[in-house]
Amino acid sequence: MSEEHLCLFPRPQKIMVLSPGEDLAALFAMAFSPDEIEVTALSRGRGAVELLFIDPPDLLVVDHDLADIPGLDLVGMVKSENVYRQLPVAFVMDEAALGEDIDWCAAEVDELLTRPLTAPVLRARVSLTLARASRSLDANPLTKLPGNTSIIGRIQELIDRKEDFALAYADLDYFKSFNDKYGFSRGDEVLMMTARILVNTVRSVGGAKAFVGHVGGDDFVFILPIDRVEEACRAVVGSFDDIVPHFYDAEDREHGYIQSVDREGNRRSFPLMAISIAVVFNRDGRLTHFGEASQAAMTLKKKAKENPRSCYVLDKRQA
Amino acid sequence: MSEDLRTERKNRLLAVRDLPTLPKVLDEVSKLVERPDSTTEQVAKLISMDQVLSAKVLKMVNSPVYGFPGRISSIGHALVLLGFNVLRSIIVSTSVFEVMTENMVGLWEHSLGCAMACGTTARMLGFKDAEEYSVAGLLHDLGKVVATVQLPDLKVEIERLVAERDLYYLEAEREAMGFGHDRINAWLADHWKLPANIKEGLSYHHKPHLAQLYPEMASVVHLGDFMVRAFEYGFSGDVGVTYLQPEALKILKIKPADFEKLLDQMSGQFVEIADLSFA
Repeated sequence: MSEEHLCLFPRPQKIMVLSPGEDLAALFAMAFSPDEIEVTALSRGRGAVELLFIDPPDLLVVDHDLADIPGLDLVGMVKSENVYRQLPVAFVMDEAALGEDIDWCAAEVDELLTRPLTAPVLRARVSLTLARASRSLDANPLTKLPGNTSIIGRIQELIDRKEDFALAYADLDYFKSFNDKYGFSRGDEVLMMTARILVNTVRSVGGAKAFVGHVGGDDFVFILPIDRVEEACRAVVGSFDDIVPHFYDAEDREHGYIQSVDREGNRRSFPLMAISIAVVFNRDGRLTHFGEASQAAMTLKKKAKENPRSCYVLDKRQA
Repeated sequence: MSEDLRTERKNRLLAVRDLPTLPKVLDEVSKLVERPDSTTEQVAKLISMDQVLSAKVLKMVNSPVYGFPGRISSIGHALVLLGFNVLRSIIVSTSVFEVMTENMVGLWEHSLGCAMACGTTARMLGFKDAEEYSVAGLLHDLGKVVATVQLPDLKVEIERLVAERDLYYLEAEREAMGFGHDRINAWLADHWKLPANIKEGLSYHHKPHLAQLYPEMASVVHLGDFMVRAFEYGFSGDVGVTYLQPEALKILKIKPADFEKLLDQMSGQFVEIADLSFA
């Protein structure tokens, strides 16, 4: 049996199967190898809830015909809690029972499997569900860029392969005061704009190997080959400074600053937003863990922040 | 004209899809984007010569999908934010006029000449973001293009009125359609979520003193439109020049001495683009 994980997941996917009989779990064993999935099979719904809530799986499979509780009620219990909302749920039932009066618009199910069910169909549908969930779970809800899990995964993967790369952390100066003055939706406009500049610049400079992620808020990450990163930083800084004044009202743009309130509650003026970028390098497999890279970048970022204008700082120790 | 007919025509104009352009710039831009060494500046410079391509790019970048509607009025900025992939899609999906008339070519030249005149004026007056004035100048007659595509029967009628009754094009539009291209511009700018300054430049270039938020923008486009006619570059639909509103010069605080300087600078630039042709 191969030791390949499913869909490039870093580990076997945990699947909880709630079904009165053993047939469904057996079908999973036929469809997947143990390196791909770990199945926990339970026949009763109520007993499963505690386990489910304390140690949620990557996919929950619920049988329509549970003995103690209607399958869809159990799904509702899970999905009504915000911390479990993202957990993908597959619902299994007899095709013949589809005519029953089920409100599919209210059923918070992510995938429907119908019996008779074959192993190849199960494999295809479950793989799609897991892959889809990992994409939508991690993407930043505003910019749709890959989020933390993908960012960490990508960096660790490059480190493990001992590939040379440059890792850039970008954030915005005076974003908070802009948000305070203009409100969140205007702040979101700026984040969308920043994301577009980063994606287009990094892609045009770095080609297929380039990566842009959105950590959250005004924090972004990009990865490029070492010899191209400075060019990209220069272009990002130039474009950002050119474009960002247009996101202010005409009067503030004219002044070149805004009046807002600082953390202590004092009214003061703040410069227009700027972008700060800190770049660390991995050469000859120097880095062994993601944490080292982010730590080094954070230290460097403080230096970039000392400059109120847009700027980038390259890690001198390695550059 | 009945309210119903006006609404029907408005809806037909706003339903414009796949606005065609002239082949010249489109061909050149297509070649340029396929070259690996081409820069955003080069592409932006070319696109800034074609009113339809420029309009498409600004419409795209200001659409709510990108998350910042009404913010971007520069072609260069739009290209940075859209990226080469999206730009390529816009270019591939743009068609050309099946029949290219002399008047169409003239209108493209008029639009380019006006863009240049507006940019020159804005720079001479020391206005910030002079490129935005060029963009408004470039797009100031877009309503005429959209009307040609969406209301072709009325376009024939407008040209007949201009020729037979010696009306200005704007007057003929109002008689044939019930509204002028300035009104169409305002509808398009709202519908496409173009920035407010561009909108006012497009919709008030025949009555700049009525512009509420950006009278300078409207006045610059008004003056540019007049100048490009005075230099007899391109063809707007009218023979000869239109009336120059003295209010526009007042709004822009242009004195007679400035005017001479402006004429000097423009004549140099009109010589430069004289050889350019969209035919």
